[in-house]
Amino acid sequence: MQDFFELAVGAAASGCVYGLIGLAYLLVLRPTGIINFAVGEWAMLGAFGGFVLLTKYEWPYPLGMVVALGILFVIGGSTERIVVRPLVEKGAPLLAPILALLGMVVVYRETISSVFPPDPMPVPYALGMGRLEFGPVGGTYQSFFTIGVTLAVFTGAWFFFERTLAGRAFEAVALHRRAAALMGINLSRVMALSFGAGAVVAGLGGLLVAPNTSAYYLMGVPLAIQGFTALVIGGVGRVEGALLGGLLLALAEQLTVRYAPIPSGYAQGVPLVLLMVFLLLRPTGLLKAKG
Amino acid sequence: MVLAGAAFFMGDYHNDVYRKLLLWVTLALGYNFLFGICGQVAFSHFAFYGMGAYSIVIFLFQFHLPLPIAVICGIALCVLFALAVAIPSARLEGFYLALATLALGQLFIVVLNEGGEITGGTGGIANYRLPEIFGLRLRGPWYTAVIALLVVATYAVLARLDRSWFGRACRAVRDNPEAAAAMGVDVARTKVIAFTLTSALAGVAGMVYAFVDNTVNPPIFGIDNAFLLLFMVIVGGAGRHAGAVIGATLLFLLPFWLSPIVGHHQALVFGVLVVLAILLQPAGLVGIYDRLVRR
Repeated sequence: MQDFFELAVGAAASGCVYGLIGLAYLLVLRPTGIINFAVGEWAMLGAFGGFVLLTKYEWPYPLGMVVALGILFVIGGSTERIVVRPLVEKGAPLLAPILALLGMVVVYRETISSVFPPDPMPVPYALGMGRLEFGPVGGTYQSFFTIGVTLAVFTGAWFFFERTLAGRAFEAVALHRRAAALMGINLSRVMALSFGAGAVVAGLGGLLVAPNTSAYYLMGVPLAIQGFTALVIGGVGRVEGALLGGLLLALAEQLTVRYAPIPSGYAQGVPLVLLMVFLLLRPTGLLKAKG
Repeated sequence: MVLAGAAFFMGDYHNDVYRKLLLWVTLALGYNFLFGICGQVAFSHFAFYGMGAYSIVIFLFQFHLPLPIAVICGIALCVLFALAVAIPSARLEGFYLALATLALGQLFIVVLNEGGEITGGTGGIANYRLPEIFGLRLRGPWYTAVIALLVVATYAVLARLDRSWFGRACRAVRDNPEAAAAMGVDVARTKVIAFTLTSALAGVAGMVYAFVDNTVNPPIFGIDNAFLLLFMVIVGGAGRHAGAVIGATLLFLLPFWLSPIVGHHQALVFGVLVVLAILLQPAGLVGIYDRLVRR
């Protein structure tokens, strides 16, 4: 039982990271309709931000975290400005910005791989090494830190979309671009913000997972797959869906690694299988969008 | 004839480069049908290419099946996996196929690396030779002629399909799925057929590839090459057979020119190139040619 709780806490922490990546998809998908394959690479950039600022320059964790995420906000916003907006303004089909972002996946990854050596780079734990135990439930500091930060981010995102005017503006753009523009919503600003925020959330995911996996230039694609699967499991209609989906996916992965009699590398097949099952049986995801 | 004949005037090194170029062109033609004509993004083409290559080697030399049966089994395997991914993904609009195939491509490499005895692990399988067909063993330029035949056959199949009702249905699905459905086109089925067919063609190309180097190993069939294939089609001009040929030739030969300048960072150049192509010249190089001709 102890063993299971240990596994559950670890799974919850990885599930939170998948949820963050899923949320990063959602932040861009909602107002623009664009599936942004670059979220995984943004997470990778977040991890490398952690390596440079926290490991190399040894900045205090909160400062390094804020600066790294600030840089990602700028990267996300400028990606939108340079690559996505010209296409949207030209009235190109939706596929065009999606493909351009796909090109950016390679640009981000290859830039990192040409600047840094190809080995995994260490990133420090937020609260140092150590374990926390509540009765039978125990886990590392980093697990609990990840869970706490993620819950805060999701609460913030939920509050933003459900309770604030700016969040409503995002929703309005998602529902009908022209009508939203006619109501005085600044489309360009909403789009730039959605990309910036998406990059921050994805980068946060990368920064949180990096102490366990190290910063590695190929880490983006698996995270992009896991985050998307989380989104499909939970349902794209609701913000909480991404978190729920992420937790379920991580639990399924960990149980497979722990109990299934197959090499642990095959756990990479879990997202694919879940993706197929959910697309076949419940394409709207577990949580339905509010009517 | 010309494609095959050229091989007889080349040295070994150039013959090798030429064979790989022809294989890339074959793959690009197939991918262009899926992406350019049917409008679907997928990243599994290299997984199916690898599935074809590995399956023929495994069926021939570990299960000792005769060549025709091994070929049929290999194609059946590709079709089976293609259907398993495409049927769920095509039920919904959006880019589910892209993500599902990305996951499939990723998983395929894991399976190859962890496959132990059967797939030979990270080292792959080597030390086998093309079996004799009617007492003949095809070698050197003659095998290049087989690859040229593959290119021509793939092109013939795809060009014929493109001009048939199915090609028109694919274009309709790409341009406006609602209108296509209203005209009586089964959108989901069209997508599934296009994906399965092009995946099977990639598998066949993989079978031919298996006897080019007489070795198969995991790195060739990774996601990076799947991205490169997409870039080839975009840069050349999506939706046009000529575009696929031009894009594949250009991006395949570019590294030979680039490597003295940028070393191993050609992928970065490709990424920038494809973003620029989408921003500035969405019709690709074929589009530039068209504009020049029209003037």
